[in-house]
Amino acid sequence: MNDATSLFLLRVMLTTRAIEERLIRLYHQGRIFGGVYTGLGQEASGAAVAAIAAPNDLFAPCIRNLSLHIGRGASPRDLFRQWLGRADGPTGGRDGNVHFGNLDHGVYAMISHLGAMISVVSGGVMARRYQGMDSVGFAFIGDGATSTGDFHESVNFAAVREVPLMVVVENNHYAYSTPNASQFRCRNLVDKAAGYGIEGIALDGNDAIGLTEALAPVVADLREKPRTVLVEVDTMRMRGHGEHDDFSYVPRELLAAYAARDPLTVCREILLARGLINPPGLEALEAEVQQAVDQAQQAAFRDPPPSPSTLLKGVYAGE
Amino acid sequence: MPVNEITYLEGIRQGLQHTMQEDPDVILFGQDVGSFGGAFKVTTGFLETFGAARVFNTPICESAMLGAAIGMASQGLKPVLEVQFADFATTAIHQLLNNAGTMHYRTGVAVPMTVRAPCGGGFGGGPFHSEELEAFFCHMPGIKVVYPAFPSDARSLLVAAIHDPNPVVFLENKYLYRHIKELVPEAIAPIRIGSARVCRSGQDAVVLTYGAMVHEAIQAAEHLAADMGYRVMVVDMRTLKPYDTDTVIATVAATNRVLIVHEGWHTCGFGAELAALVAEQAFHLLDAPVRRLTAPDCPVPFAPDLEKAYRPNAARIEEALVELLEY
Repeated sequence: MNDATSLFLLRVMLTTRAIEERLIRLYHQGRIFGGVYTGLGQEASGAAVAAIAAPNDLFAPCIRNLSLHIGRGASPRDLFRQWLGRADGPTGGRDGNVHFGNLDHGVYAMISHLGAMISVVSGGVMARRYQGMDSVGFAFIGDGATSTGDFHESVNFAAVREVPLMVVVENNHYAYSTPNASQFRCRNLVDKAAGYGIEGIALDGNDAIGLTEALAPVVADLREKPRTVLVEVDTMRMRGHGEHDDFSYVPRELLAAYAARDPLTVCREILLARGLINPPGLEALEAEVQQAVDQAQQAAFRDPPPSPSTLLKGVYAGE
Repeated sequence: MPVNEITYLEGIRQGLQHTMQEDPDVILFGQDVGSFGGAFKVTTGFLETFGAARVFNTPICESAMLGAAIGMASQGLKPVLEVQFADFATTAIHQLLNNAGTMHYRTGVAVPMTVRAPCGGGFGGGPFHSEELEAFFCHMPGIKVVYPAFPSDARSLLVAAIHDPNPVVFLENKYLYRHIKELVPEAIAPIRIGSARVCRSGQDAVVLTYGAMVHEAIQAAEHLAADMGYRVMVVDMRTLKPYDTDTVIATVAATNRVLIVHEGWHTCGFGAELAALVAEQAFHLLDAPVRRLTAPDCPVPFAPDLEKAYRPNAARIEEALVELLEY
């Protein structure tokens, strides 16, 4: 992995963390509409996939994958506009929080129904390949979504059609308040790959550099030999399902164990150890990211909300 | 101009074939649509003509099929998906409601996809192969619903549906597939989605209907004309969302008496929408209360005598018309 990629991972994760921490603050200050759902502690896999992917690839991020959006080029100002429901935000106020995308970046806007986007990104990749483009798809879901019919239908469909698709299951141990033990009976979620006749790969979900190094050759191979693979990454949701949730049902020792393996800490340490960044450089980068987030937030608060007169615009295309 | 007699099924086949010949963005997939030619043989020979990249079978996975169609459409293709029976679209209804129907509104990305859904009863299909679900589909924002009753309309409206930049549910009445024939020219006439067809003129009453019931209504109207001299207009709505409000109001103005007929369920059926429109916009034109003749609110039964009692037909339409005309 080259130096630029390592620094890209760090910058994407720092930006993600800074934005999400700011969103949490705004939520508790009552300055934001609706809920706030973050991926604190889960920044690594989205950043790694963004680092590996090619321009024509397509993505279906889930609620904890803000780092994927940022890695694919979403601007902090657009993100704040989205959470604030602004007219010029990614969904123009039609949808809130993590429900947004940008197909110019190859990123689909998720819907709340978990597992539903796996087949959408598959279809997108099938279309791009029909159109002569080299395209690989990446679908992110959590442990809870593996229980849905959509997960089963879409993974089987992609496997049968040999769609070059990487299904990244982020096992963060809780689906809202439901722990793994009440969610599935197999030993590991990666075991499900065997049932679909596809390759399954289990990785540490908190090490962005390790993920990038492990997955880059797999993705390169998917381009040559199109097929579907299942990747299970072990990680931890470090906040509640949303900020309204005190997650008191999660044992604090479990959180402490993952806090010691925080993706940002892991990445910083590797970069420092490899001499790719020094402490003053790191401090400067963090200050730069914070400043960008401050500016984006201020700008978004000044941006106008949508006019009620636009309520019915765009229900149908071409009208 | 040469004219050929074609079936309803042949109309669908020709519409699909025509768009696939004209537009390489049109992709066809579904269960058994490939070499088998589909459960009703609409796509026989398509795999050989258009190749495996454009015509392919899927596993049994309606939700993943719908999702894949959304993904393809979002990239500029015009996928046509066959769900073998409209009944089975219910296992994928959330992809239609939540994903296809909202994507343009939420993100500005158009989803030009067509879901071909064979529906309706009258052939002993029982509860899970006979359902009429147009009201479900019509209730969803962002979705268009088309339901032809004639071979020419099936052909033209399928072309219109495929080229529409929105998700369109194209309902095909299975009973009509091989029962209805029509003389049609070679060239496919364009039909705008949202226009009804006045298929029989009359001034004493109007039957607003669609699907297989159009033909039952015409039969009833003809019988009534011969028996009692009444002149009953029959309107085939043929597209249900958007639907032709102008024609509904104009025909009510011309006849002052309205019977609404469909083989779907009664409560919150499409007929309730039509009745509400008439009540809101044409109440002053009515000489009699609006009447609805629909399937009752029970599952579609299997046994021939039960299904006959369930499904409206020409005789029952005639009875309802007489009551309406003599009000």
